[in-house]
Amino acid sequence: QDTNAQNGKKYTVGGIDVIGETSFSKQTIVTYSGLRVGEEVIIPGDKISNAIKKLWNSNLFNNIEIYINRIEDNVVFLEIRLDDLPELNEVKINGVKKSKVEKLITENTLNKGVKVTENLITTTKNYLISKYKKEGFYNTKVNINTIEVQDTIQTSKSVMNMVVNIDKGKKVKVKEIHFSGNTVIPDSKLKKAMKNTKQKSITHVLKRSKFIETDFKADLKSIVDKYKENGYRDARVLSDSVVVIDSKNVSVYINLEVGELYSFGKISFIGNTVYSDDVLRRILRIYPGETYNGTLLSKRIADNENPDASDITNLYQNNGYLFSTINPVEISAEGNIIDLEIRISEGKPVYFTNVTVVGNDVTNDHVIYRELHTRPGQLYNKSNVIRTIRELSQLGFFDAAQIATNFNNPNPNEGTIDLEYVVVETGSSQIELQGGYGGGGFIGTLGLSFNNFSLRNLFNIKEYKPVPRGDGQQLSLRLQASQFYQTYSFSFSEPWLGGEKPVQFSTSVSHTKQFLYDAQTGKADRDKAFTITGLSVGLAKRLNEPDNFFTLSQAISYQHYNLKDYNTGLFTFGDGYSNNLAYTIGISRNSTYNDPVYPVGGSSFSASAKVTLPYSLFNNVDYYALKHDREDLQAIVDDPNYSNSQRVTAAEGIAEIDQERFKWLEFYKIQFKAEWFAEIVKKFVLKPSVEFGFLGAYNQNRGDIPFERFFLGGDGLGSYSLDGRETISLRGYPNQSIQPLDENGYATSDGGTIYNKFSLELRYPITLKAQAKIYVLGFVEGGISYNAFNDYNPYDLKRSAGAGLRVFMPAFGLLGIDLGYGFDALPGQTQPNGWETHFIIGQQF
Amino acid sequence: PYQIALKKPDISEKFKVGEELYNKGKFDKANKLFAQIVPEYRGKPQAEKLMFLYSNTFYEMKDYYLASYQFERFVSAYPNSGKVEEAFFLSAKAAYMLSPIFSKDQIETRDAIEKLQTFINLYPNSEFTPEANELVRELDYKLETKAFEIAKQYNTIAEYTADYNASITAFDNFILDFPGSPYREEAYFYKLDSAYKLAINSVETKKQDRLEDVKIHYSNYKKSYKEESKYLKEAEKMLEHIIKELEKYSTKS
Repeated sequence: QDTNAQNGKKYTVGGIDVIGETSFSKQTIVTYSGLRVGEEVIIPGDKISNAIKKLWNSNLFNNIEIYINRIEDNVVFLEIRLDDLPELNEVKINGVKKSKVEKLITENTLNKGVKVTENLITTTKNYLISKYKKEGFYNTKVNINTIEVQDTIQTSKSVMNMVVNIDKGKKVKVKEIHFSGNTVIPDSKLKKAMKNTKQKSITHVLKRSKFIETDFKADLKSIVDKYKENGYRDARVLSDSVVVIDSKNVSVYINLEVGELYSFGKISFIGNTVYSDDVLRRILRIYPGETYNGTLLSKRIADNENPDASDITNLYQNNGYLFSTINPVEISAEGNIIDLEIRISEGKPVYFTNVTVVGNDVTNDHVIYRELHTRPGQLYNKSNVIRTIRELSQLGFFDAAQIATNFNNPNPNEGTIDLEYVVVETGSSQIELQGGYGGGGFIGTLGLSFNNFSLRNLFNIKEYKPVPRGDGQQLSLRLQASQFYQTYSFSFSEPWLGGEKPVQFSTSVSHTKQFLYDAQTGKADRDKAFTITGLSVGLAKRLNEPDNFFTLSQAISYQHYNLKDYNTGLFTFGDGYSNNLAYTIGISRNSTYNDPVYPVGGSSFSASAKVTLPYSLFNNVDYYALKHDREDLQAIVDDPNYSNSQRVTAAEGIAEIDQERFKWLEFYKIQFKAEWFAEIVKKFVLKPSVEFGFLGAYNQNRGDIPFERFFLGGDGLGSYSLDGRETISLRGYPNQSIQPLDENGYATSDGGTIYNKFSLELRYPITLKAQAKIYVLGFVEGGISYNAFNDYNPYDLKRSAGAGLRVFMPAFGLLGIDLGYGFDALPGQTQPNGWETHFIIGQQF
Repeated sequence: PYQIALKKPDISEKFKVGEELYNKGKFDKANKLFAQIVPEYRGKPQAEKLMFLYSNTFYEMKDYYLASYQFERFVSAYPNSGKVEEAFFLSAKAAYMLSPIFSKDQIETRDAIEKLQTFINLYPNSEFTPEANELVRELDYKLETKAFEIAKQYNTIAEYTADYNASITAFDNFILDFPGSPYREEAYFYKLDSAYKLAINSVETKKQDRLEDVKIHYSNYKKSYKEESKYLKEAEKMLEHIIKELEKYSTKS
C-alpha cells in the first residue's frame, strides 16, 4: 500500500479519501487541503507538503499524513489520514476564589471548543505562575491535568476536560534584608533606596512587604545607583541570594563591593561653537573637587524625567539643534579624580518643513493648526513642541494622554525635519436628562452641551453624526420645568471669531418664569408670575501682554424682570418691572496644566467688574427726597397706631417709590477669585483658593438693588433663579444659607452685597484614565457674607471641613459627592451646623 | 419567507431566500441571512458566490468599511474567480467612499488612492479603470485642498502669531508637492501677500532686504498668473507700495 515514488513523477489526482477520527466532512477536509481531483501533482512535491501544512495551520487536526492509495497508469489515488484535535469541554480551576475563575478563563481563552494542544497547556501554566509571582506569591505551583471524556452521543468528536490546580501558597514577605560589604552608606539608607522590596515592619503601612523577583532585581540596581550617586562609581552587587525561611517568609542577602570614592576633576568642553564654555559650565553646575556623581552628571546633560529641565541637551534642543549630541567622556581617572571631556556635536540648526496633524476624525484642521506653536519654516524648539501638546490637550477634544509626536524625514545635512502630531479624538459632548421629585413637584431637565460644535453645518444633514461637530464651537441648550418654574436657556460660543485671532464670541439667551405657590390648592398659581428674560453678548480675547496666559473679556447683558401680582418678601412691589442693562469687563489669567479636570500645577485668577450706567446722574430724579419719603412711609407701615387703610396706602407708596428706584437697575459689582495648584508630594495636589465680591451703588440714596447678590453656602450649583445672583459654594452648610443679618439680628433671605471665602483643598487621583478620571479630596474652607461694608469683617468666617470624591466621565461630565462639617452656627442660630452632604453634578472642577 | 428562513436551520434555504432578497434590492435582510450561513459554507464550492454577494450587501448598505474589508478578503480567497476584478474595484471604491472631508484626517483618502492605484496598475484595461482614474483624481484634489487651506490659514493668522514665514514655507511645500494644482496661482499670490506683510511689518534693520524679496515673490506670481485673475490688481498694488518704500532707501544712500 505504501508506494514510495522517489523520482518526482507527474500524476493526475484521481480521487482523495479521508480516514480518521474527524467530525468534518470529507469534502471540507479536501477543500481545506487545497488538493483537487483532476489536477496534476508531482510526487514527491510541493503540493502534497503544502496540503499538510495547510491542514496543520487550521489548528483543527492532529496526526496529519497523506498516503498514496494506489496508482493506475498516471492517475494517483490519495488518502488523507488525520484525527481531530480534542476539544476542550469543561475547565475546572481549583485553588482560587470562585469569582476569579471566570477572569482566569478569559485571560487564557480556555473557552469551550478550544483545541487542546500541548502549547495551550504550557502557556496557561506559565501565565498563571508568573501572574501570581507578580502578586507576591513566590511559591506558586500550577498543575494541569487533562481527562478525556467518553462521549456516548457524539462519538466522532474527541472531547477533553481540563483541571487546573493552583497552589498559590502564602504571600511571601521579606523578613530580613542583609547586606555584606556595605562599608559606607548605612544599611537603613540602602533599604530605603529599595523602592519595592521592603523589610517586614509595622511602620510600612503604605508599602507592605512583598517579595517579587522582578522588583527585587530592579531594587538591586537602585542600590548600586545609590552608591554611584555618592561617588562610588565602581560599586556593584557581587551576589545576591534569597533564602526561604518558611512558607511565608524569605530573607535576602546582598553582597556588595563598594569600590573606591571618586571625585570630579577637570571638565572641559569640546566641539561647542554656539555656546561658550562659560555658558555651558553655568548649566552643568558641577565643579572640580566635588564627589563624583554619575546620575547628577547625566541629569545635567540630559534629564530624561523632566522635559522642561535646565540641562545642556535642552539648551541645544530649544534652539534648533535637533541633531546635537552630547557625550561625556572620561579621559583620566588618576588618583580617583575623574577628568571629563564633554564632547558636543552640534550639527546644523534644524527648521521644520512640514508640520502635520493626523487622527482628527472629527475636528477640522483649522481648529487644530491655529493652536500650533510649531509652524513650517520655524526653528526646531523642543519646548514649543511640548507647549503645543499641552495646549492641544487643553482643547478638550483629544485624549490628553494619547497626544504624540513623530519626527519624519530628518535631514541633518539640509537642517530640515517634518513634524507630525498624532491625536485621538474623545467624546466632548454632554447630555443631561433628568427627572426628579423636588420642590413640591416633578422637575424635568434636559440639557445638551456640545463642546466641539459646528454651526456652519447646522443645516447640513450629512454632518449629523449625531450632531454637526468639528469646528471647536460650544453650544448648549437647557430646558428645565416644574410646576413652579420654567427655564429655557441657550448659549453659543466661537473661540476664534473671524478666524484671525483668538477672540471668543459668546452669546446667550434665557427665559425664566416662576409661579407663586397657592397655599389653598397647594399648587402653582399661574396668574402670579415672575418672568425674567435675558440676552447677553460677549467677546473675550487672549492677550499677549504681560504674558499670553491672560484673557480680557467684555460683555453686554440685558435682562428684563417682570412681576405680575407676585408678592413675596423679596420685593416691595408685586406688580412692576425692572431692567438690567450692564457692561462687564473681566481679566483672567489661567496657567494651570495639564489636564483641565485634574490640574497639577499653575494658577488661575480672575477679576471682573460689572457696571451699569449711572442713571441717577442725569435722570433728574431726586433720590434724596424719595429716600426720605420712603423712610416716612416705612414709619407709618411699622407703626401699629395708624389705621389699617393708612398703612396699606403707605405700603403702596413704598412700592411706587421702589418701582421708581429699580426701573433701571443701577449698580457696580466687583469680583475677584484666585486659585493655585501645586503637587506637593507624589500625586498629592494642594489647591488653595481665595475669592471676594462686592456689590455697590453709585447713589447711596437710591440704594442697593435686590438683584445680582451673593448667595453663599452649599454646593454652589447655579440655581434656576436668573436674577443675576452669584451662588458661591461653601460646603458644610445648606445651599445659599449664609445670609447677612438685618439690623434686628434676624437672618435675611435675599443674599449679601459683600462676601469673601477661603478654601484649601488636597486632592489625590485614583485614576486619570481617559474613560474615567477619579480623585478624592479633603478640604477646609470658610466664608462669610454681609449687607454693608461697615459691618464687614472678613475673618468672622463660617468654617467647615470635610472630604469628597469626584468622578469625571466624558459621557456624563463631572459627578461628585462631598461630606462637610460646618463648625459654626447658621445666621440666626446658635448650634454648629454639623454634617451636610453635597452632590455635585456637571459643575466643572 | 424571510422570517421563516431566518429561524429555520436549513442553510440552503437561507441562501436561496437571501439571494432572492438580494435580487429584489433588500440588501439588509439578505445580509442578515448571509451572515448566518457564511461560517457553514466556508470551504464549500458555493462559498465563492456567497462571499461576493455578502460583500456587496455591505456596499449597498453603505457600510463601506466592512464592504472594503469583505471584498478584499474575497480577492485574496478566490484569486481565480471571474468576479475578482470587480471585487477588487469595489473594495477600492468602498475605501474611496470612506474618505472624509478634506479638513479632517486623510488616512482613508491615502488608503483609497493606494488601493485604486493598485487596481489601475493590475487591470489597466478593465472597464472600471476610467472610473478608478476619475476617483484618484478626485482624491488627489482633496489632498491638494487640504494642504492649500492649511497654508492659507497660516497667512490668515499671521498677524496674531507674528509668523509670516510659516505661510511662505507652507506654500513652498505646497507648490513643490502639487506642481499641477489648480490652486497654483492663488498659492503664489498668498506667498506674495505673506512676504509683503512681513516686509511692511519688519524691523528697520531687515526691512530693505525683505522689501527686495517681495519683488521676487511678485515676479514669481506674475509667471504663474492666468488672465483675468482677481488677485492681479491687489498684487500690483503691493508692488507699487513696495517700490515706493524702497525709494526711501535709494535716496538715503
